[in-house]
Amino acid sequence: MSTAEQNRRLVRKGSTAELTAKAPKNIGRIHIPDRLLGWIIPVSVLLVWQLLARLGVLPANWLPAPTIVGQTIYQLTVAGDLLKHVGITIARVGVGFLLGASAGTLFGGLTGYLPVARKLLDPTLQALRSVPSIAWVPLFLLWLGIGETSKITLIALGAFFPVYLNLSLAMRHVDPKLLEVGKLYRLSSFQMVRRLILPAALPEYIVGLRSGLGLAWMFVVAAELLGASSGIGYLMVDGEMTGRAGVILASVILFAICGKTTDWMMNAAGRRLLGHRAR
Amino acid sequence: MVNNGFAQRGTVNIEIARKAFSGSKGTLLALKDIVLTINPGEFVCIVGGSGCGKTTLLRIIAGLETEYEGAVFLDGKKLIGTGLDRGVVFQEHRLLSWLTVHDNVAFGLAGLPPQERSRKERSRDIRHYINLVGLDRFEYEYPHQLSGGMSQRVAVARALVGRPEVLLLDEPFASLDALTRMRMQQEILRIWEAERTTVVLVTHDIEEAVYLADRVVIMSPQPGTIRNILPVRLLRPRDRTDREFVRIRKSIHDELFAPRGMTHLAADSF
Repeated sequence: MSTAEQNRRLVRKGSTAELTAKAPKNIGRIHIPDRLLGWIIPVSVLLVWQLLARLGVLPANWLPAPTIVGQTIYQLTVAGDLLKHVGITIARVGVGFLLGASAGTLFGGLTGYLPVARKLLDPTLQALRSVPSIAWVPLFLLWLGIGETSKITLIALGAFFPVYLNLSLAMRHVDPKLLEVGKLYRLSSFQMVRRLILPAALPEYIVGLRSGLGLAWMFVVAAELLGASSGIGYLMVDGEMTGRAGVILASVILFAICGKTTDWMMNAAGRRLLGHRAR
Repeated sequence: MVNNGFAQRGTVNIEIARKAFSGSKGTLLALKDIVLTINPGEFVCIVGGSGCGKTTLLRIIAGLETEYEGAVFLDGKKLIGTGLDRGVVFQEHRLLSWLTVHDNVAFGLAGLPPQERSRKERSRDIRHYINLVGLDRFEYEYPHQLSGGMSQRVAVARALVGRPEVLLLDEPFASLDALTRMRMQQEILRIWEAERTTVVLVTHDIEEAVYLADRVVIMSPQPGTIRNILPVRLLRPRDRTDREFVRIRKSIHDELFAPRGMTHLAADSF
């Protein structure tokens, strides 16, 4: 039986795994699967870092070994502080993102559908957007105090713009050929929006939500660094004040994990919403 | 509205004095003095090179172009804007990528007032037209899972589901491969014979026009005018290699390529 014939038989059986397993190996070369390729650098860095820290080349109060950082996370968890801080940060991001994304959806939808609304609102919103958002912090603190309101407002502001911009633009850029189809079948304005414009704009809207969520995480860091008595950002400041590099690094890792997890969730929800659409 | 007695419905009277587009380089006269009557249940093909205004003419009948001098009547009623009494298929399928075949066809009824057709009737009609175009096994597929020919079938079903009196087709098979195109030509004849709607098909493919049409309207550009109207009195299914078929094809070809005013000379030459 020739190899080609063997392969065909395997394909017919629907067993692609078997097919790859039986594929001729690259003799004399190390074969690494593609999905493991991305792990090489981080794992090597971790190993070198651990080694240097253990050898005392890296001072422990400056860059503690990965195992020490892991231990710090464990200790904080056991003490019960960690869950509280993580929970509060997630809650801030959640509420801020929800408010910002809702406002972004409302204004994006309005300006995307009504040219009058766009002409009225867009110049102002664009002007506000050109202010680096962190620059609002002193004003928010002055107006809203150091409590939750100023933090959530800042996060909402960060989440607002990508959602607003993406939705507004996507609604304005719906293929005119599809709009003609709606016109042919005599859709009402409401049906046009619900059945054509919004579904057509959905992929870009989801992209906007994702980057809005990313910015919400950036802004929660800013808000918590600038004045908080709880949250991962506070943990960071605390680590800095008390000279515990392990705590700072642990916080960085926690931010990364939380941000990545929520982004992954948003992405999964987006894929579900987009369903079987061709991508 | 009942669809019997349809034999008398679907008369299109076109009286367009002038249709111009104004752009940055001045105005372009797209159509001039177009007078044409299409009979109920007739299959008319409009042929012409690019820029002869054939698509513009179809878009005016569809109600997508509303700025022009003149009027178009359907069964004596002046047409204003689009309407479910006309179904349209474009060169691109223009299906909605987020809807299944079934829901794309159902989209053709989206603008129909709720009292005009019951839910039951609607779902029966949707199924009927999906079957008619031969896609009953693909009802729940999405557009990206379909071939070009299948997508056009869905577009035809969507255009027909509102039970229009006139079906307007704008180069519907132009982007299909040659074999699929020929099959779709047979299919559109079968559908037309089943539905008996009036059909107006715009094409630049002379053979397609002769294969399909009861009458071929030949247009010439700058400005877009009707140059001639040729009846095709051949029995269907037509044989593309038949002598008479070839003769008609050649005469349309010569008509399209002869310089203006030399039509008779060209016709005499064979």
